[in-house]
Amino acid sequence: MIHKHLKTLGILAIGIAIGITGLVACSNERDASAPSQTRVADPTDVIDEELMVSLAQAKNFHRKAKVYMSDGNLVAATASVRQILSLRFPAGAPEAEDVRADARALLAKLLVSQGQIEEAMRTVQEGLAQSQRESFFVANLHTVQGEIHEARAAQLDAEGEASKAKATDERRAAIAAYDRSIQINEKLQKQLMEQR
Amino acid sequence: MASHDDDFLTSPVPEPDAEATPSERAHAKTFADIVDKTLVGRTPVAMSADDRALLEVATVISAANGGMELAASKQRSIVEDALRQAIGGVGAGTSGSVTPIARGRVKRWMPWAVAATSTLVAAAAVLVLWLRAPQQTTIVHETAAIPASWTSRPADPLVGPIAREHAGDASSRIDYLFADRLDGYRERRLSGGKP
Repeated sequence: MIHKHLKTLGILAIGIAIGITGLVACSNERDASAPSQTRVADPTDVIDEELMVSLAQAKNFHRKAKVYMSDGNLVAATASVRQILSLRFPAGAPEAEDVRADARALLAKLLVSQGQIEEAMRTVQEGLAQSQRESFFVANLHTVQGEIHEARAAQLDAEGEASKAKATDERRAAIAAYDRSIQINEKLQKQLMEQR
Repeated sequence: MASHDDDFLTSPVPEPDAEATPSERAHAKTFADIVDKTLVGRTPVAMSADDRALLEVATVISAANGGMELAASKQRSIVEDALRQAIGGVGAGTSGSVTPIARGRVKRWMPWAVAATSTLVAAAAVLVLWLRAPQQTTIVHETAAIPASWTSRPADPLVGPIAREHAGDASSRIDYLFADRLDGYRERRLSGGKP
């Protein structure tokens, strides 16, 4: 009698288990087999390890150059800053252009302080030519470019009356460079204000 | 009475057309009374073996002719016991605790019905899973949902306009930029890359 009841209960349990399994399969069919409709994208423009390494290296070269400058070793400081221009950044990282432009500005000033005015001008012009967008760093390059024009003018002034006209041209060019820097700064500031 | 019976049984068989003797008539009347009493349930306590044998034959003949009616409850009990035995139930003799046949059948087939229904549902579910075509996945790039602090971006908002007297202060600016990007990088890593 008990055996018969147990048999009945067993059949019932198996039936219910199969039914529940079927229903669970129906309700959870998309959980495991089908991929989600949405998933978190892995964009390439997030801050990644490669960018952080590049920024850290740039930071270290700047620190090194600063130590050399404080020690009066402008040549070593210049070499250290030049190494920043050789750093590899992630492709398309906006920080790369900003860091390089800032390094060029410092490099140009170091060159000017060492009397290498033409080399300084080339460094700035290369930076401006390579810039893809207007930025405060590009504006700073124009500022440094103006300083270089001023340095040229001072050099021409020292050469005597014959170079006075050229010195005037350099001062005008310096003013134009400063104006360009001011123009970019104003434009960017306006854009940033509008974004807030 | 025993001697009379013995005489009756051992005496020669009379002719078919022979007139019944008074003794035979008396014996027939007595036996008829016994049969009548037995049919109404009043069986005599004691009787001869020959009379008992004749009485049993008479009862069987009477029952075969439909002359005996069982009580309704007794009839129902006997029928249900027989049917229960026929479908594999417990033996007879327990009429008092007999389950009605209809309810017994339901009880017997219910587990099978549940099992069959569940199996059908499961089979249908498996069939639906198998036949349904995989839905096309739409990958939504959630770049817009990623916080700006996690992204590689221009440093202009961080640095602001660079004054002429700070034109060569690139070291300070790179320190500031590095610290800012490190915050975003750590935030993204610690959150598992999900906003």
